[in-house]
Amino acid sequence: MILRLNTDIAAGTVGLVFAAVLWLPREEIGRLSIIFPRAILVLLCLIAVALIVKGVIRPGGRQVEITGSPRRLFTVIAGFFLWWGLVEVLGFLVTTLVAFFALTWYLARVETRVTWQRLLKWTPVILGLVIVFYLTFKEVLNVRLPTGLFF
Amino acid sequence: MDMLLEALASLLTFESVITVLVGVSAGLFIGAMPGLTATMALAVLLPFTFSMEALQGLIALGGVYMGSIYGGAFTAILINTPGTPSSIATTFDGYPMARQGRAYEAIAAATIASVAGGIVGVIFLLVLAPPLARWAVAFGPSEMFWVAMLGLTLVASLSSDSLLKGLLGGCIGILLSTIGVSPVGGESRFIFGYPPLQGGIELIVALIGLFVIPELLTMAAEGRGALPGQTELRKKEVSILSIARRIFGKPVNLIRSCLIGQIIAIIPGAGGNVTSLVAYNEARRFSRDPKSFGKGNVDGVVASESSNNVMVAGSMVPLLTLGIPGAPPDAIILGVLLMHGLRPGLDLFTESGVLTNGFILSMGMAALLLLPVGLLGGRLIHRVVIRTPYYFLVPSIAMVTILGTFALRNSLLDVGIMLILGTAGYFLRLIGIQPAPIVLGLILGGIAEEGYVQTLMAAVVDPIPWLRLLHNPLSMVLAGMVVLGAATTLVPMWLARKGLLDRVDEDDGRSP
Repeated sequence: MILRLNTDIAAGTVGLVFAAVLWLPREEIGRLSIIFPRAILVLLCLIAVALIVKGVIRPGGRQVEITGSPRRLFTVIAGFFLWWGLVEVLGFLVTTLVAFFALTWYLARVETRVTWQRLLKWTPVILGLVIVFYLTFKEVLNVRLPTGLFF
Repeated sequence: MDMLLEALASLLTFESVITVLVGVSAGLFIGAMPGLTATMALAVLLPFTFSMEALQGLIALGGVYMGSIYGGAFTAILINTPGTPSSIATTFDGYPMARQGRAYEAIAAATIASVAGGIVGVIFLLVLAPPLARWAVAFGPSEMFWVAMLGLTLVASLSSDSLLKGLLGGCIGILLSTIGVSPVGGESRFIFGYPPLQGGIELIVALIGLFVIPELLTMAAEGRGALPGQTELRKKEVSILSIARRIFGKPVNLIRSCLIGQIIAIIPGAGGNVTSLVAYNEARRFSRDPKSFGKGNVDGVVASESSNNVMVAGSMVPLLTLGIPGAPPDAIILGVLLMHGLRPGLDLFTESGVLTNGFILSMGMAALLLLPVGLLGGRLIHRVVIRTPYYFLVPSIAMVTILGTFALRNSLLDVGIMLILGTAGYFLRLIGIQPAPIVLGLILGGIAEEGYVQTLMAAVVDPIPWLRLLHNPLSMVLAGMVVLGAATTLVPMWLARKGLLDRVDEDDGRSP
């Protein structure tokens, strides 16, 4: 998917928005703690303005391209965040098994028809992978993984 | 000399060789996994050395350190994901080489460079430790500020498309490093009333997010693997000997990178990520074909990998002589020394000289063992990455990155930050803001801030406080290097604008 966008102006705007987000709470901070971030914030604003001016006078890129399927991109982004959000509720093991199956099924559909038989064939591989990593981190490396409602 | 020979004799036993071999293999495995750093590898394997003798414990950890730094190159080359922060610069050319079907060439070059770098680092440590350590002590706050600034001039050259966008990314990275408790004032900054943010943004979290997640999203969107399916190692076309001949035939890049690695390694806290980025930048700057960097130039891989492996032994200089860790993993080594009742300083080279020299030599042995272990392991890791369908690879990498990110501080917030930064990184890349300047800003932000604020605090009675940043010859030299570094970045852009570069290119094109 190709979008018409002046990348210089877009980058400058991102810089200004980021600076604004950090600028607002700075007054509650003491001099020693703010002296350095303030200098960088000013520098960031100057660079962002310079980019916007450049974008108006002599723009660099005028379009951006999302390669592949934007729908798949946004679905996977949502999937990752859902995976993260559910870890605390369902526990790491259950959430990861569900997320792994769901992502594998969704992504495999791009190049092949995913039947139940195929999913069943993949099950030992997915189960093995997830359980090996789960046990390695939990038992060998002593990482206290979130348990949630189940494990 | 007697101590050195005695140390060598104690090292050349079956038990010691096996310890180094196991250490290197374990380090290689952990280092090759995205999110698991050399520090983590050392911390995780530390308990296994408790029951060992002091020398055996130290040589095991030395092997793990060397193996994990080198292991980071595998995923950097194969899936554009630096296994350790030290391998950031390896991705710049290693991954394009893998995409061109030259994965084996990149891995072999990384292996040879790592072996050479590791051995050179050990030689430096043995020969130059005392004078270099004395020099490093001269670095005060203002000098550290300029060292950080020198690193930040890299920002401009790391973002090849636009200097302004590179600087913007660098500033965003520096500001991300200021989130949390201030290192000087001690107050919480930019936490938006959310106390868990006081811990700040962990470098590894940002690194995984900015480098791994955009790549996973691209793979998912395009419906393809990290490497083209038909890509082979092309082992038959390039032999290890031909790659070695190429590297050692024109050794300037290797020598320069080793020297840069050693100089930066003795600066406390600088770490392998800074050494590899600086060495890469200089390799590109001095190259006859700088445009090929970032597109699969083997010299980029050699520069990055040789310098970061020099750092392994090189960063031990301030550690063994002053007790100051040159890089984060060294802190673990310091802990082991103290645990065995060994205090850094002159005593380590006199009373405990055999043990210290044995430890140093064991790192040389570990570097040599990288060759067989790395090349065999490389084939295995490559096979796993290539033959795994992308619909298994995406969730597998996502799972390991989530696990690795969580394990750093047992924090689900870190996983969220990693995902947010990764998603933002994907879209920022689309508008020309690359992840490397952001990461560099994040690494150097803390160093620059401490140097800047401490210098200004010391200059409160001065009429012009900031002049304190240039109060001694060393600061002036470093400041001059910053200006020079920035200027040399701007020169090619100025030449391109004047059209002079095109003429040079045309001339090059005409010559046979």
